Amino acid sequence: MIPLALTFIIDLLALLGIFIIISLSLNIEFGYAGIPNFGKLLAVAGGAFFIGAVPGRVLAYIYGLLKKYDYIDNNVEVMYALGKILGTNPFMSMAMLVVSLILAAAVGAILGFIASYPAIRLREDYLAITLLAMAEILRTIGYNYKDLIGGTVGISVPDPFRWIGGELRLALAASVIMAVAIIIFIYVELLSRSPIGRTLRAMRDNEVVAEAYGKDIVKLRMKTLMIGSAIGAIGGALYAFLSGSVTALGYDRVVYTFWPWVMVVIGGAANNFGVLLGATLFVTLRKLIIFYKSNLQPFLPFDVVWLEYLLLGTALLIVLIYRPEGIIPEKPTHTLGKKRLEKIKELVEAKEV
Amino acid sequence: MRSEILRTDGVVKSFGGVKALKGVSIRVKEGSITMMIGPNGSGKTTLINVISGLYKPDDGKVFFNDKEITGLPPHEIYKLGLVRTFQIPQPFMKLTVLENLLVAYPDNPGEKFFGALRRGKWRKVEEKVVEKAFKILKLLKLDHLWDQQSYKLSGGQMKLLEVGRALMSDARLIMMDEPAAGVNPVLAHEIFRRFRELKDKLGVTFFLVEHRLEIALRYTDYVYAMANGVVVAEGVPETVMVNPQVIEAYLGG
Ligand SMILES: Nc1ncnc2c1ncn2[C@@H]1O[C@H](COP(=O)(O)OP(=O)(O)OP(=O)(O)O)[C@@H](O)[C@H]1O
Ligand SMILES: [Mg+2]
Repeated sequence: MIPLALTFIIDLLALLGIFIIISLSLNIEFGYAGIPNFGKLLAVAGGAFFIGAVPGRVLAYIYGLLKKYDYIDNNVEVMYALGKILGTNPFMSMAMLVVSLILAAAVGAILGFIASYPAIRLREDYLAITLLAMAEILRTIGYNYKDLIGGTVGISVPDPFRWIGGELRLALAASVIMAVAIIIFIYVELLSRSPIGRTLRAMRDNEVVAEAYGKDIVKLRMKTLMIGSAIGAIGGALYAFLSGSVTALGYDRVVYTFWPWVMVVIGGAANNFGVLLGATLFVTLRKLIIFYKSNLQPFLPFDVVWLEYLLLGTALLIVLIYRPEGIIPEKPTHTLGKKRLEKIKELVEAKEV
Repeated sequence: MRSEILRTDGVVKSFGGVKALKGVSIRVKEGSITMMIGPNGSGKTTLINVISGLYKPDDGKVFFNDKEITGLPPHEIYKLGLVRTFQIPQPFMKLTVLENLLVAYPDNPGEKFFGALRRGKWRKVEEKVVEKAFKILKLLKLDHLWDQQSYKLSGGQMKLLEVGRALMSDARLIMMDEPAAGVNPVLAHEIFRRFRELKDKLGVTFFLVEHRLEIALRYTDYVYAMANGVVVAEGVPETVMVNPQVIEAYLGG
């Protein structure tokens, strides 16, 4: 028996990992490169929809289930059969997970490439609206085109964590998600401490001058959105595996676009540790509110769900007023480390020019 | 051996009804310090904007090293070895003084989304670039501010940073829009001496727009004078400065 408190924490970590991944991807796009991606949902939903649509179908095909069943209409039967197969086959389960995540990232990159089409041509405000709309379009397609992910009812997803059995499933899922989040954190942090991070921030600060200094803004924006969307899609894919099903309506802009924005803005744009903090504060606070829902309700004159919005909105306002650059603001990132830079400075000063 | 590095043929550029350039043809010799003078609004900055690709000319052609570059995007022109500074300093505000210089270095192998992960591959280049940047900062007397975010600089310091960034570029032709504006005279002289040194040692060509003739003229090989979007005089400084049209443009109407 895993105690309740521990379940709470494991559950929290799983969700936190996903939002760390998504908000870090937004940090690359907005914090570093200055692209106001109000269509973060596009990549996240893209990754999740891919998981709903493809891995199960491929497995069903491999194991000959599609001869008997229609993948969408007999989804319950197909998933039952797949569950039995994957439940006893850790290797197949993990292979499916890894391959799926890689392909989801590729799908995300393609969506990022499509999103970069307006991103190259439009001014900031128009761009934000266009990206927002693109995400809504994908969601609408998922909702109305039944063959993709089951339309209104949604679809189940083959479970890569089931083989470990019972209560440990969530722990395994949380560990995998956290591991991926850590890898992505390291990647983004390495980027920010390298010349490319510097160049992205330069582009953000002044596009015209960056271009005059040899930076191909069109290409940089395109690549940024491809990388950011690939990472966002990994977040969406992991969420699909964690929750075991994908429903188009479940992917809405509040959760997968605005929340990540709040996390980045509260924590500190262009500071990965800030974003880490922002995501942690946000997810924890939310989880606590939901956890103590029934305890809180008697004290509130309104439904407790609104408390969540109220508190998070207030937190956002306070941060924006008192720390407009976030709790941990952007800091100079020294590619070679500050010590080494000071050393080189000394050496240069010692010599005559 | 002194061929021309930059040539414009009849460049025309209008903004709505304002004809900023009315057929400007200039030639800049390789390894020279060539200066463009002219009263406010005569089209000097516009010419630099056209040459560097920021604006497309309505008519006329621009050649760099005998290659036509008319209408190429700025980043491609930069990669050919032509850099320009901005009259109103435009540092990358949140980047440090040092970072502003480092960004300008072309072809850093760490400037790739996956290449960035292979530190070993870009570290050497980065060290070299940092050393170069500190040398320039020392010359500009900005070295003590190296780790300061550049929005905190004074106007004059920003101007110096603008110059420093251009010197980082390894460009063959450096176009500067009023590099000495707002800089104290002693430092301004030092900077111009440095330009001459770079020209003598490395053969770098400078094309400068400058109002502070009392400082700049003595470092200059060749002068173009513009007024109302046309070149009114050219030649060595001694002859241009006594040209009646130039005197009229500056002092008269
Ligand atoms: N982007 C623009 N839009 C509209 N008009 C412009 C623009 N840029 C320049 N002009 C006009 O073109 C003319 C030439 O301007 P330009 O900036 O080239 O002059 P300048 O010689 O650099 O002057 P200064 O010595 O004051 O810097 C001016 O009349 C100016 O108002
Ligand atoms: Mg000007």
